[in-house]
Parts: sequence; structure tokens; C-alpha cells
Amino acid sequence: MTAVSEAATSSALRTREATVRRFAFTDMAFRTATRLSAILVLVLLGGVAISLVAGSWEALSKFGFSFLTTESWNPVTENFGALAPIYGTIVTSAIAILIAVPIGIGIAVFLTELCPRPLRRPIGIAVELLAGIPSIIYGIWGLFVFAPFLQTTVQPFIIYIFHGIPGLSSLFAGPPYGIGLLTSSLILAIMVLPFITSITKDVFDTVPAVLKESAYGIGCTTWEVTRRVTIPYTRVGIMGGVMLGLGRALGETMAVTFVIGNAHRISASLFAPGTTISATIANEFTEADGDLYTSSLVSLGLILFIITFIILALARYMLLRIDSRTGA
Amino acid sequence: MKPMLSTDLNVADTTVEKAKIEIKDLNFYYGQSKALKGINLSLPERSVTAFIGPSGCGKSTLLRVLNRIYELYPKQTAEGQVLLDGKNILDRSQDLNLLRTKIGMVFQKPTPFPMSIYENIAFGVRLYEKISKAEMDNRVEQALKRAALWGEVKDKLNASGLSLSGGQQQRLCIARTVAVKPEVILLDEPASALDPLSTAKIEELIDELQADYTIVIVTHNMQQAARVSRQTAFMYLGELVEFDRTEKIFTSPREKRTQDYITGRFG
Amino acid sequence: MSTAASLHQSRKRKNAVMMTLCVVAAGIGLAWLALILGALLYKGLSGVNLAVFTEMTPPPGDAGGLLNAIYGSIVMTIIGIIVGTPIGVLAGTYMAEYGRFSKLTTVVRFINDILLSAPSIIIGLFVYELMVRPMGHFSAIAGAVALSILVIPVVVRTTEDMLNLVPNALREAGTAIGAPRWVVIRSVAYRAALSGIVTGILLAIARISGETAPLLFTALNNQFWSSNLNAPMASLPVTIFQFALSPYEEWQQLAWTGALIITLTVLGLSIIARSLTGRREDR
Repeated sequence: MTAVSEAATSSALRTREATVRRFAFTDMAFRTATRLSAILVLVLLGGVAISLVAGSWEALSKFGFSFLTTESWNPVTENFGALAPIYGTIVTSAIAILIAVPIGIGIAVFLTELCPRPLRRPIGIAVELLAGIPSIIYGIWGLFVFAPFLQTTVQPFIIYIFHGIPGLSSLFAGPPYGIGLLTSSLILAIMVLPFITSITKDVFDTVPAVLKESAYGIGCTTWEVTRRVTIPYTRVGIMGGVMLGLGRALGETMAVTFVIGNAHRISASLFAPGTTISATIANEFTEADGDLYTSSLVSLGLILFIITFIILALARYMLLRIDSRTGA
Repeated sequence: MKPMLSTDLNVADTTVEKAKIEIKDLNFYYGQSKALKGINLSLPERSVTAFIGPSGCGKSTLLRVLNRIYELYPKQTAEGQVLLDGKNILDRSQDLNLLRTKIGMVFQKPTPFPMSIYENIAFGVRLYEKISKAEMDNRVEQALKRAALWGEVKDKLNASGLSLSGGQQQRLCIARTVAVKPEVILLDEPASALDPLSTAKIEELIDELQADYTIVIVTHNMQQAARVSRQTAFMYLGELVEFDRTEKIFTSPREKRTQDYITGRFG
Repeated sequence: MSTAASLHQSRKRKNAVMMTLCVVAAGIGLAWLALILGALLYKGLSGVNLAVFTEMTPPPGDAGGLLNAIYGSIVMTIIGIIVGTPIGVLAGTYMAEYGRFSKLTTVVRFINDILLSAPSIIIGLFVYELMVRPMGHFSAIAGAVALSILVIPVVVRTTEDMLNLVPNALREAGTAIGAPRWVVIRSVAYRAALSGIVTGILLAIARISGETAPLLFTALNNQFWSSNLNAPMASLPVTIFQFALSPYEEWQQLAWTGALIITLTVLGLSIIARSLTGRREDR
């Protein structure tokens, strides 16, 4: 070895070897630390699941399957049933999605096709700001601004319109409280809207320009291109976004608690007060006396966890499929 | 200087130049697929060897075996021996980081670190050597001079490495590589992302560097191989087809496949 | 001939209708934002005065401020970030670097995304079972832990995404010069991804600043000043919850003002985070 570098002198060589050993140790330590942190994420979810099951044990073992089908919720007689909260959760979320999806897709179409370029970024940002507003803000806005407005103007109007029509009149019956299932659904819709919009817009952007151009090229209108090319291409991604929004809506607590009315009742009318799982827990947990009461509330949490887990897992799975298709 | 003969002639030449790296029966696998088949090759020290061949022939793969950079990825394995000054670097006991201080690599796309020009060069040196600031300043200056970049950057050593032009960035990468005083420098298509002027500068550099370093360059540009290298290895479909002095390969190659490639019949 | 023309007309009309609806949709979205922010400013601003920042939360019917609530929120947020960020960054680093090709990473990514969107009240229940029950009392530290569990998935996601954007060639260059893996990560990958990772942390702060549900049964609330981590501590969101649902006007006004403070903080952080990534994109 004639081209001996200075570092090949023996003391420098020893330093090098010591450095190499030190590097190997630190590398192993760092690698382990990162690995453990990654595993911690799994442990967290597992921990959540386990603690919910443990906490619900008392209630579930006492009530069994009837917990899911009983409407009454009576802390005095200690007879608890999850039917009303489950009903409220599902109905408010379903209506929220029904309203938010068309509007969200509409906004996404607007942003990708119609909006003049300089306005695109600010409007996009504005929609995302909606997503950033904490849910408690929606809650108090709903309680003090939106609900009174609905109570004084919209609800009486709707009751008047549907008066006497069989079916619909009972759907929109009852005194206009302002708060209630429908109001909660509307607030949820506003909360879920930005998620659906941004995910839909993102998947719209993945449509290859050539595909749209060839459709325009044969004379399609913008709506036809959207309906026949963009949406079918991004169908799975949109579904994923919708499920994600649904998952959010199901678990939403603060916005709903303020305006749902907190009645453990299932009514036919959307204007009636009701409750959701998260609203029940939020309102009653700190005052729950007695282990059975607390355990019933945790059982509600377990039910919510299972429902949202399934929905979110499905959503991620769908979005994963779109990622692999576009090679992201 | 006697020419290096391709080993399928099995001729032992007593006046061969000293081999810095000897590759013996090297096989390489991407998962189940065999990318290098039975490579036998001797790379002489302090001269430039070029690997040429059509896309997918394995030249980059072979280069990347030499500093074992493939170890970053799963399912990539090498079998056989690669002797650096007689010691097998494919051995499990070989420390990879140490190996790479002896065998440096410059990549196709210039990759300055997200640091200042000075730091880009000091970074590698600092890993294994404890030297004073004055010494480091000197090292940095020497490296940049070696890479023919000193004049252009000496007043802005604290500027980000990314603020340089493409050709300058690549020379920075070369400076960074020589700063740690390796014995071998591997170049993986170093000029293919650069304009002709920068390419010429890089080729000039390679010519100067071979006085002190063993250089291996992968290139898809045959004229470049002819310009800079002393010996050339032509590869095809994972095999070493022919290895000889560059003039011989390009004027009177032994193998028909080599002939076809350099005359442009395929590639 | 005429059927082609009338077909064309009807298609045009349909397009015009649908496009108008889309514009209306955008208008609705923007209108909501304006309505909410407007109400917030209108009702919240009128209650903004020095007392809000200097006095404690008052008993019902009295005037006062939000000092203990603001303090509590800041303290628990900081602890939540300090605990959650290192774990999130390390986990994200594993997923993008050491474990890039491993199955564990795929699983963790999936589970992390679920944790990201999980109802925060469930996290509150979890920490209740984990800490409050065994400890026998509510505490600020439990609240901070609940917040940190919300921070982790956000930081994991952004760290992994940002590190994955760092080109592999850069990593190879670091490795080729003899740097061990952790040095390559620290000096090359982290540096290249820094603004993105910081953005992730800012977004995490923005997220937990407004969270109420996880604090409801961990940190509870506290009418008085407390800096004891082992005791219930006031926080802005929970205070707003309590005050807004009460019949007392002073409390309701404080709730609006608190809501305004939270919203401005969250929006401010989001804007800063955006401008960080925006600058990176322009480069």
C-alpha cells in the first residue's frame, strides 16, 4: 500500500477503530429507540382497546346484549341502555354526511375546474381553516347563534311546510326547540365538510390531465367530464374521504354536546332532542356515581370505539388502494 | 506496461500492474434474480477503469458492490470475493463505515448535503478525525483545490452547498470524497446530469486524480470511457464480456458482442 | 339536425346548472366560515379586556378573567408536546429510515392513521382508566398525557412523510462517505426535512389547543389558580364548556372571549405552519 494516507499511522488507526466501535453502539441504541417508539404506537391502540373492554366489563356482563337494544337510561334504578345514544350517533352522522358530501364534492369541483387561478389558493386555505377550528367553537356558536336562528326562523317554517303531509310531518314535528338532532347534524355537516373537500380535491388532482383533456377534446362539458371521467376515476378515493369524514362525525363530541339536547330518547322527529354516545359520556361521566353507571358509560365508549375503528380502517384501506394505483 | 488480459484467456502475465481490487467469482442477486454472474476482474491501482455496457447490463450494480452500498436495501446480496489489497471486503466482519472511508463514491445526480460548502467537506473528515480548526480549514481548501473548485467558492465557503450550479455541486461532491483521503474513488455516471462544459471539467479532474487514487467510472457514454480510462470492462446481461486496455477495446475488441456494442449495433 | 342542436342545448343547460351549484357550494362553505368567525369576533372581542388575562375564573355571577385557564392550557399543552413529540419523531424516523422496508412499518402506519382520527373522548377514557383511577384523583399530568397521546399520531405522520420526501441519493451520499446510519439521519435527513417536521409539531399544537373532551375527565377543571401538576387544573376549553352551558351572563361572555383566544391561536399556528411548507415548496 504505497499511497498511504496520513490516517494510516497507527495512533490514528486506533482512533478510527475506537470511533467505529462507538458508532456501532450508538447506531444500535438509536435504532432500538426508534423501533420501540414505533411499537409504542401499537401499544397505545392496544391499550385503549384493552382499557375500554376492562372498564365495560361490569356493565356488559350485567346487561349483556340487551344493552344495545334498551332505550331507557335510568341512573336511579341503574338500568342503562345504549339504544338512544347509538341511534343519535348514527342518525346525526348519517345526515351530516348526506349534506356534507354533495357540498364537499361541489366545492372540490369548483376549486379544480371553475375557480379562477389566483383565487384557488386563498379559497382552498379558507376551507382548510374551517377544518382547523376546534369543535368547541362550533359548539358554542351552535348553541348561541345557530340554534336560536333555527328556532325562530327555519324550524317553524319547515314545520309549516310539512304540516299535514303524512310521514314527513312527523319527521319534522314538534316544538321548535332550536337544539336537537337536526341542528346537531347540520353542525356536524359543517365540521365534516372541509375534510371531504380537501380529500376529494386531492384525489381529483391525481386524475391524469390527458384523461380529462381527451374528454374535453370530444366536446364534453365540464359537468360531463366531472361526472363521467373524474368521479369514476377517483371513486375509491372519494369513498375513502367520505368514510374518513364519517369516522370524524361519529366521534365528534363538543360540537354535538352543546346542541343535541341531551335526552335519552328516540323520537321520530328530527327536531326533538336526543343524545349521542360522545355527548352522553361528556355530560355524565364526571357526575356518574356508582360503578355500574361509570361502567355503562365506558361501555358506550367501547361501542363508539368499535364503530369508528371499523369505519376508519375501511377508509384507510380505500385510500391505500388509491395510493397504490397512482404509485404514490 | 503490459496490457491486462481478460481472464477467459487464462493467461498469467508477470508484469501486470498491481491490482488494487480483485473481484473473484462475484454473483449478485436482487431477491431471486441474478444480476451479476461470475464476475472475475482485476482493477489496477492508480489508474482509471471504465465499466461500459447497455442499460441493465449490471455495470452500476457491480460498482455498488465495491463499497457495499447495496447493504442499505433488503433482498440485495453478493456472493464471492472482492479483495481490497488482498482483504475480502465482502466478509461479514468488515465494518461497512470503515470500508467507505477507503472507497469513496460520487453519484450520478449531484447530492450536496443540506449544509454550507465548508460543512459539506468537513462533515466527512470530522467523522473519524479530530483535527484543529486551522487543520480543517487547510483540509477543506486542499480538497476544493483538488476538485478545481477552490477559486470559485473560496469567498463563500459559508454559502449553502445547494446554491451552486450543477457542475459546481458535482465538483463539491468530488471534493467531499477526496477530503477523507480514500484509496479508491467510484464514479457512477458522474457527468450524465451535467452540461458539456461541466462534463469536460469533470473529465479533466478525473485525469488528474488518477495519479493518487484508483478510479472506477461507470458510463453509458462510450466516448467518455475512451477519453478518460486506461482500461475498460464491457458488460452485458450481468456478465463481464471483455476487459482490456481501452484502446484495444475500442479499436480491435476480441468479442463480437463488444464489437457490436461499440459500433452501435445495439445499446 | 335539430335534435342534435337541442341535445347540445340541454347538455349546456345541465352543465350551467351543475356548475352554478358548485359555485353555490363554495359560497356556502365560505359563508359558514365567515358566519362563525364573524360571530366569534363580534361576541368575543367585546369581552376582551386586561382582566381576562390577569384575573382568575370567577364564581358564578361575578366578573373575572381566564388567567388560570390560560395558564393551565399552556402548561398542559407544553407538557403534552414535550412528551409526545420525541416519541412521534422517533417512531416516524423508524418508519422512514431503519424500518422502511419492514412489515412493522406498514402495520404501524395503519394503526397510527386510525389513532389520528380516533374520537378524542375515547383517549380521555383511556387515560382515566390508566392514570386517574389508580391515582385516585384527577390531575393536570393526566390531562397532559391525554394530550400527548393526541400529539403522537400527528407528529408520526408528518415526520414519516417528510423524511420519505428526502431523496434516497442524499442518504446514499452520506453513507458513502462513511457516516453510520444515525449520523446520516441526524445530519442529513433531519436537516433536509426540518421545516416539514417543525410544521408537524405546529399542527400538533394547533390540534391539542382546542381539545376539550380528553381533558374532561383527566385534568377536570379548577376554579382557582393551581400550578400543581398532581391536582386538577383549569384549561381554556373545559372552562368554556362549563361557562357556556351555564345561565350566567358573565360566564357566557368569558366563554366567548376564551373561544376567540383559542381560535386565534389555532389559526395563527396553522398559518405559520403553512408558510413554512409553502416556502419549502417554492424552493
